[in-house]
Amino acid sequence: MAAPLIDQDGLEAPLAGVTRPRLPRKLVVGGVIIGILVVLAALAPWIAPYRFDEMSLLKRLKPPSAAHWFGTDEFGRDVLSRTLLGARLSLLMGIGATLLSLVIGVPLGLLAGYRRGRFDEVLMRTMDVLLSFPPIMLGLLILAVTQPALWKAIIAIGIVYVPPIVRITRSVTLDLVNEEFIQAAHVRGDSTRYILFSEILPNAWPPIAVEASLRITFAILLGAALSFVGMGAQPPSSDWGLMVSEARPFVDSAPWIALAPGLAMCLTVIGINLLGDGLRETLDPRMRSQRGA
Amino acid sequence: MITYVAQRLLAIAFILFVMSVLIFGITQVLPGNVAYMIAGQFATPDVVAAIENKLGLHDPIFVQYWRWASGVLRGDLGQSLIMERPVGPLIQEAMARSAILAGVAFICVAVLGIVLGVVAAVRKDSATDNAISVFTYLGISVPEFFWGIVLILVFARYLNWLPSGGIGDPAFGLPVDPRYLILPAITLTFALIAHVSRLTRSSMLEAMRSNYVRFARAKGLAESLVVRRHALRNALLPTITVLAIDVGFLIGGIVVVETVFSYPGLGRLLLFAIERHDLPLIQASILIIATIYCTANLIADILYAYFNPKIRYGRPAH
Amino acid sequence: MHWFSRSIIAGMLLTAPTWSNSAIAQGTLRVAFGSSLNTLDPAKTKIGEEYIQNFLIYSGVTEIDRDGKLKPDLAESWTASEDVKTWTFKLRKGVKFHHGREVDAEDVKATIERVIDKATGSVARVNFEIIDKIEVVDPQTIKFELKLPYAGFAEILSDRQARVVPRDKLDTIGQEPIGTGPFKFKSYKPGDRVELVKNPDYYVPGTPKLDAITFRIMPESAAQVTALETGEVDLVWNLPLESIERFQKNSNVTVDSVATSTWDGVIMNAAHKPFDDVRVRRAIALALDKKALVEAALYGHGSVTHTMISPTHPYYNKDIAITGPDIAGAKKLLAEAGHANGFKTTIFVPSGRPPRERVGITVKELLKPVGIEVDVQRVPWDKFVKDIEGKEAFYVDGFFSRPTIDTSIYPWYHSKGSWNTVLWNYKNDAMDKVLDAARGAKSDDERAKLYKEFQALAVNEPAGVVPYVLNHVNAFRKNVKAFQSSPMMWLDLRQTTVQ
Repeated sequence: MAAPLIDQDGLEAPLAGVTRPRLPRKLVVGGVIIGILVVLAALAPWIAPYRFDEMSLLKRLKPPSAAHWFGTDEFGRDVLSRTLLGARLSLLMGIGATLLSLVIGVPLGLLAGYRRGRFDEVLMRTMDVLLSFPPIMLGLLILAVTQPALWKAIIAIGIVYVPPIVRITRSVTLDLVNEEFIQAAHVRGDSTRYILFSEILPNAWPPIAVEASLRITFAILLGAALSFVGMGAQPPSSDWGLMVSEARPFVDSAPWIALAPGLAMCLTVIGINLLGDGLRETLDPRMRSQRGA
Repeated sequence: MITYVAQRLLAIAFILFVMSVLIFGITQVLPGNVAYMIAGQFATPDVVAAIENKLGLHDPIFVQYWRWASGVLRGDLGQSLIMERPVGPLIQEAMARSAILAGVAFICVAVLGIVLGVVAAVRKDSATDNAISVFTYLGISVPEFFWGIVLILVFARYLNWLPSGGIGDPAFGLPVDPRYLILPAITLTFALIAHVSRLTRSSMLEAMRSNYVRFARAKGLAESLVVRRHALRNALLPTITVLAIDVGFLIGGIVVVETVFSYPGLGRLLLFAIERHDLPLIQASILIIATIYCTANLIADILYAYFNPKIRYGRPAH
Repeated sequence: MHWFSRSIIAGMLLTAPTWSNSAIAQGTLRVAFGSSLNTLDPAKTKIGEEYIQNFLIYSGVTEIDRDGKLKPDLAESWTASEDVKTWTFKLRKGVKFHHGREVDAEDVKATIERVIDKATGSVARVNFEIIDKIEVVDPQTIKFELKLPYAGFAEILSDRQARVVPRDKLDTIGQEPIGTGPFKFKSYKPGDRVELVKNPDYYVPGTPKLDAITFRIMPESAAQVTALETGEVDLVWNLPLESIERFQKNSNVTVDSVATSTWDGVIMNAAHKPFDDVRVRRAIALALDKKALVEAALYGHGSVTHTMISPTHPYYNKDIAITGPDIAGAKKLLAEAGHANGFKTTIFVPSGRPPRERVGITVKELLKPVGIEVDVQRVPWDKFVKDIEGKEAFYVDGFFSRPTIDTSIYPWYHSKGSWNTVLWNYKNDAMDKVLDAARGAKSDDERAKLYKEFQALAVNEPAGVVPYVLNHVNAFRKNVKAFQSSPMMWLDLRQTTVQ
């Protein structure tokens, strides 16, 4: 996977350093790229010219043409159709895994920040342990114990990215618990659940959202890397990482098989990165002031 | 400072212990039974049982853990089930090769990253700055495996300048022919350089705005001297911290890069072990990799604490 | 950034000229193959790359040569009792293991007992289960008592897993193999290379000719191709079929191809409708154009055949013709079976086995004209083994050559065969009779006759379609002399030299 941003304690993510006041453009460009991608992914089964697994020997390894814009692969499958369908898998992987890490991480982070004490201590040490594995290693460790499959990769990536979500949620919660309105709710005797989800969360979400938007690209890249080394999506699915991996023997005779999903992947990641940067600049006041300096 | 380092060391020791339990626990529930892998397609239940018995897979799990953990502490990483040879030397050889690749990539990342960062900062908002910014943006957006394949396509297949993978014959006292390092090292560098160059750029900019740089300028010192002697020296401190963290990311990236370039290092060894459900080899490789990662993080923490005395006492705020 | 890209390119230009002519050590052959080895212990070997080491480092009791003929190896002679149940082998005198000790009958006994031992987990164990008792008569003589008459016993002893190992080194041969073969083990770096050196004491005088062999492990076929083109290696073992064409145009490289008895098959599981009806199976066999399958799946690098007995084998039945597809005949049979309008079915192929995947797709196209609509499903290998083999109705499978004719056929076609029950559930009394008789047949003529009868049965009442046996292809540079590919897919490098 490409290098994730630094989420080490106290270190500013370096992306922040280069962002110049071009905020709307990043957001717009990223938004347009991702918007188009989401539409294509959603409509893929209807707009793809062929079925993603339709094979034909007569048409194998054909270069791009009017009938097959991105050419065909070693089984005569249409690379364009497969790439389109693959967009769904990549987005599913990125968004699915991120949602999973949010679903697990946000409540834990809220509770840890609100309760403090032993629960907090144990939880944060557990997160330290998880963070002590390089992300791909933790993914591999989880996948090594089962037969690889797409949904297992999603779960593994979701787990890998729980700790950063817990950390950010906890730190925002810590800032908020001392606010008057939370104290008031506490005094009123509101249930913990109510305080966490109805009082704290609505005020804590912007930094979490920024964090989550960054996680999506990491999740997509990590998922593609896992598929690439054979531990994620399995054939005949048209996951981009898997497609690139399967195209390797033909890289000089039929480079289009690897190039199409590879470029699609790059475009997606760039789009989400731009979108995430734009979002971060809009939502995070700290960044805004820093940038102006 | 010493207290802080001691604290961190203690924490790492604890983390490593929990990690070893985790690695062992997870891998030991591996459903694709290794005995089946050894016996092959014709395996009958009694054959499998005989092999399981021989390997001690019937012992209670904590007995198995103790056998493994006490061995690891004595420096004995166990015996590869599939290859029937000690895991230690296997890992050592693979690690030496990975270390060479990672080392080369690390030097490239450090040198090029700092140079690009400084250039970008000095020529802030110029075309050069923008070009560097785009370049590094691509770096973090292009997956290593795709970038690697593009390099193979161009430099190995079309131009035929460089080998497309493998390690060649040992040369210059290295276990690896240096020509085989070029493409994988470029791939890793490209993926990681963004960190360093961006951080260097922003801390350079900050340093150039600082009072002492202004003062130096006011004294009439040449701009190049100001940059080199005053700004750079201060700006590099956070960069050094980030470099230590990059060691960790290198380890992650190396699994993929070694696959793309058929480079027989630690990452490939791990994937080989996973494919064959070779438990001791999986356990030992992950433990080793995680230990290196932890150590790199520890060094990063200590460096950070060293340069930012504020947080030295107590853990950094979350 | 300019200086950066310029210096990189300058660096590449500097290295470019030297890259293609690395020095060649005199008398050392450099071979590339695809997979890292798991073990060097012959009893536990399972893949081609390991078998190569078995044959170079070790000797067998007997040997099967390139033409499929049985020859003495460590045993200089042998006799069988009248009922082919008792076999006595006389060992050659003075053959030394690489660590200096002479081979004796105790070593042979230990070797075979180890293969039979369940805890060893040898894949060859089933072949040796017929042994009842092993007796060392004297240091040079060993006697086997079998549970049943078995005429092919001397052939089984040439098996890949039954290479003779020293009984005093059983614990270490997995890492440091010691045998009696033409080459001695020097080193193995997993994932990287295996190095062997000449055994000057090899029992055949004047061989081997090479000083040393280096095997380079290169999993990517593209890397193998480049390495051969640039002279980084001298020989690529088991060349990927899709790169053969590239080398046929290269004047520095010889492409050497030989028919093996490794086969792929279109499996029709008789436990499922409609394949329980032999007429349906025959109809499909008639519709499948074997020549087209060889072209499509193997780019032409295979030989059309009736069964796994390859056309070059002395037992091959030349009286049965292999004709083109008979669409009318197939339709007629289908109509008789009640499928006048054809039917829909799914064929499963394992992913990561490209020729079998291509067979599946071709079958789909070849069955269209007879009205059978086939959906091709690719499934991962482990799922294929777990959920498809023996469980689904229609799939493509394939098997490596086995050293003897009986072990290549019996497990698949006999109703009690180990593979039959997990593959196609084929039951044919006539077939069982022929295969049983062949096991006890004493003369070669009698066996040949029975196996020809087997082929006729397999064609007329098919269990599935075996369209071809694969060619095993090696590519080597012109400096390699006296090398010939073997149908067993191992490398016989005893006479080979490099210049």
